[in-house]
Amino acid sequence: MNDAQTITVQVVGIEQVTPLIKHFKLAPVAGGSLPVFSGGSHIIVVMQRTDRVHKNPYSLLSSPSQLDAYEIGVRRMEESRGGSHFMHDAVKVGSRLEIAHPVNLFALDKIARKHVLIAGGIGITPFLAQLEDLHDGSVPYELHYSVRSAEHAAFLERLRRREGDKIHMYYDDAGLTIPYQELLAAQPLGTHVYVCGPAGMIKHVIGTAQTWGWPDSHIHWEQFSAPPVGDAFEVFLARSKVSVHVPPDQSLLESIEAAGVEVPYLCRGGVCGFCHTKVLELDGELVHNDHFLSEAEKAKGKSIMPCVSRAQGKRLVLDL
Amino acid sequence: MLVTGIKSKPVYAPLQVDTRGRYHLMLGMGVGGAPLLRVITDMRAIAAQSLLSTRVLFLPDSAATGVAAHAVQFETAGVADVQAFSGTPQLLDRFRTLLSQSLMGTRLYVAGPESFIGLAMKIALEFNLNKDEIRAEECGTLARRVYCIHCRATTENVRTNIVRCVGCDRWLLVRDHYSRRLAAYMGVMADAEAPGELPPIKEVFL
Amino acid sequence: MNTVFKNETFRDDFTYRNTPQAIQRFPLPFPEDSYMYSVNIEPHLPGPRGSVTEFAFDVDEHYVAECRERAIVLATEPLRYQALPHMLSSQWDCLELIMDSLARDYPAHFSLSKQGNRWHWVNRPLQIDQQFTFGDTSTLPRQPLDYITRQAQGDFVVMDQREGDLWTEAGMVTTQADWSLDFDVGMTFKEWHGPVPLAHELQVFDRALKFLLNLRLGQPVRRLNWTMTVNPRLDTSPENYPHWGTDRASVTPQNAGDRVHLRVELQGLWRLPRSNAIVFGIRCYLISLRELSTVPKWARRVHRVLKELHPALVDYKGLTRYRDAAVAWLAPFDDGSPTTPGTAPE
Repeated sequence: MNDAQTITVQVVGIEQVTPLIKHFKLAPVAGGSLPVFSGGSHIIVVMQRTDRVHKNPYSLLSSPSQLDAYEIGVRRMEESRGGSHFMHDAVKVGSRLEIAHPVNLFALDKIARKHVLIAGGIGITPFLAQLEDLHDGSVPYELHYSVRSAEHAAFLERLRRREGDKIHMYYDDAGLTIPYQELLAAQPLGTHVYVCGPAGMIKHVIGTAQTWGWPDSHIHWEQFSAPPVGDAFEVFLARSKVSVHVPPDQSLLESIEAAGVEVPYLCRGGVCGFCHTKVLELDGELVHNDHFLSEAEKAKGKSIMPCVSRAQGKRLVLDL
Repeated sequence: MLVTGIKSKPVYAPLQVDTRGRYHLMLGMGVGGAPLLRVITDMRAIAAQSLLSTRVLFLPDSAATGVAAHAVQFETAGVADVQAFSGTPQLLDRFRTLLSQSLMGTRLYVAGPESFIGLAMKIALEFNLNKDEIRAEECGTLARRVYCIHCRATTENVRTNIVRCVGCDRWLLVRDHYSRRLAAYMGVMADAEAPGELPPIKEVFL
Repeated sequence: MNTVFKNETFRDDFTYRNTPQAIQRFPLPFPEDSYMYSVNIEPHLPGPRGSVTEFAFDVDEHYVAECRERAIVLATEPLRYQALPHMLSSQWDCLELIMDSLARDYPAHFSLSKQGNRWHWVNRPLQIDQQFTFGDTSTLPRQPLDYITRQAQGDFVVMDQREGDLWTEAGMVTTQADWSLDFDVGMTFKEWHGPVPLAHELQVFDRALKFLLNLRLGQPVRRLNWTMTVNPRLDTSPENYPHWGTDRASVTPQNAGDRVHLRVELQGLWRLPRSNAIVFGIRCYLISLRELSTVPKWARRVHRVLKELHPALVDYKGLTRYRDAAVAWLAPFDDGSPTTPGTAPE
């Protein structure tokens, strides 16, 4: 929404848990406790670089009852605009970062009769916190976790210790894949499925569940798109009457913010719909990268989610 | 106090086959047999294989002639599993047992009077069936179940705008405010402000 | 804060009154001389010193009497408190929010010490001293929401968030303006607000729901709502309508000043951290027309608002039988002179 209420944290621990994933512990500089949160929540981490500001969403993976420090897992993205690289390369123990209060866009359904959790790679992070809420044992659950190979299985020891036989592992290099058909074909009424992982996995889970007749209200997924890089373009903000240049490796939202114009946001990952903005004029094409607008809305070209989407062409005018 | 036009009053729509469902569980009461038969006929036309995963639980209405034959018609239409019942409690018991054994992908279709739909929905709620898993078509009597907000008794088969509560004997005004959890409309004392002053009693829920 | 808690009643002999200080801080809900619905939601930020919004929860001179009134209601009607089973974590969230706020804002009256999950709560006005384990219901005499809202003014409703909706699934409701938690528990946001006229057509609830689904932790919001009540009766529930319905027929232009009360709800909404639910606090303030008339601007304004009120709202708020009497009683205070904008006494 806005950054009025960020919390200053200090990095108190960094661990390379897989070749691509670093595990960060963030403690409040002011001491005391961080805000309580619910499993599935994410925080926005504000990274002040000398030339620009990155604001990336990361799921909280620590136990919701552990409040001396939050824990996040950051995967080094190959096609990064710099956010994950900054976290991996520039952030050290002792570094200070700003974070926003947790927001939950991926909550467990409280009246579900069973939970099926499906994680791919770094997508394990929100489930680590959610599992803490499932430990009272009142609702049955199972976790299916797919990784490239054993060395990429982040947080597996922690999971094995706490979850025992509730966790099912699948290693790509051993030719093991999650048996989506069997998994989704025979779940009792009132089951909810949750998936977090690569886009292809999410699409596959949603598709398979729908094939087996699952209604949308029982299918939950979360994928934060990192804002993809693209061609540079210009945008004119009609109400603020300013022109903004969007460079290839900066998002539309970040560029607008850098120009001093505030846009309401929650997830910065193309999921929540909060930064939904009207397109007033367009000579060219919108490059929609969000998961919020429907295909029909995307085709219409009348609105855009500036957190992850971009434009190509001569002219773009937004209602900001 | 708003009496009619309250948004909690459920909105029903003519039943349609949900081809995204894998299993189809249909409940009908009395004249509700007709809409179910219509859905089954549609199903045979557009997704005949679904008839193999369709069950019908039906409560014939003994007062009306002809509808008892629905049970036979369901079978003739090709439904694999049809059961007829002699009373609502027996049907609902069976419904509950079936839900406890059912899988994700099940769609529920209910056709009959609103009071019957309400009782079925109340059970469906216990199994976390959401709006996108349930379809209901109202037909037959509009008689209401009315929950007395003062003594918490439920008066069945209410056809009038004002009714005497079976629990506390007060005259209750029947409002459109509906609770899915209670499967009932709210009844509130009609003459609380001026005792004995009642509006004319009219048959409105026929 | 040296609040002197009054010994007063909200039933039978109705000894409830506002002191002059309480009148001055009364939250008038009319920023102008007419009224229609709006999505009048604003951040619940600390208001001016001494105002009803200075703190998260306002504890005023009526605190002890209101808690006593709640206990009277619950003694005969336990179902005025309800919580569906999946709402337990939100109950603890509410307990924490209320205890933390009261202990921080009114240290003379409340204190809370925590050693891990071992909590020690002291409520001096109600003479309560409770040690318990946070998260362990067996260490409290009642369920957490029941326990803490018996020590708070105003009603509380807790809404679970799922399927893109808010579900009314727990609450303590004993000081309500004619709606029933017992009937409404389990409803969606719009079903719950079903009996409100006009607002659905104005899309008030569509917008409010959309806003609330995105309500953030640490950024509570508030709004004011209002109706009127005959006698300073907190419990104007549908459940007890047979007991208070006749009050409405008892108003005359002569007694309206003492009988008719403006009933204002200060509604606060907080996102809850563990449960991701939302708690909706509905704090009721009552002021008689006579007390109100001690502030000339307010008397003129309320006279004008009531006189011009939309007929559907007159009906919904249950004013049909006595609106004219209230308007007549206020008329001599309205010389037609303009009122200054805003709600301050001027």
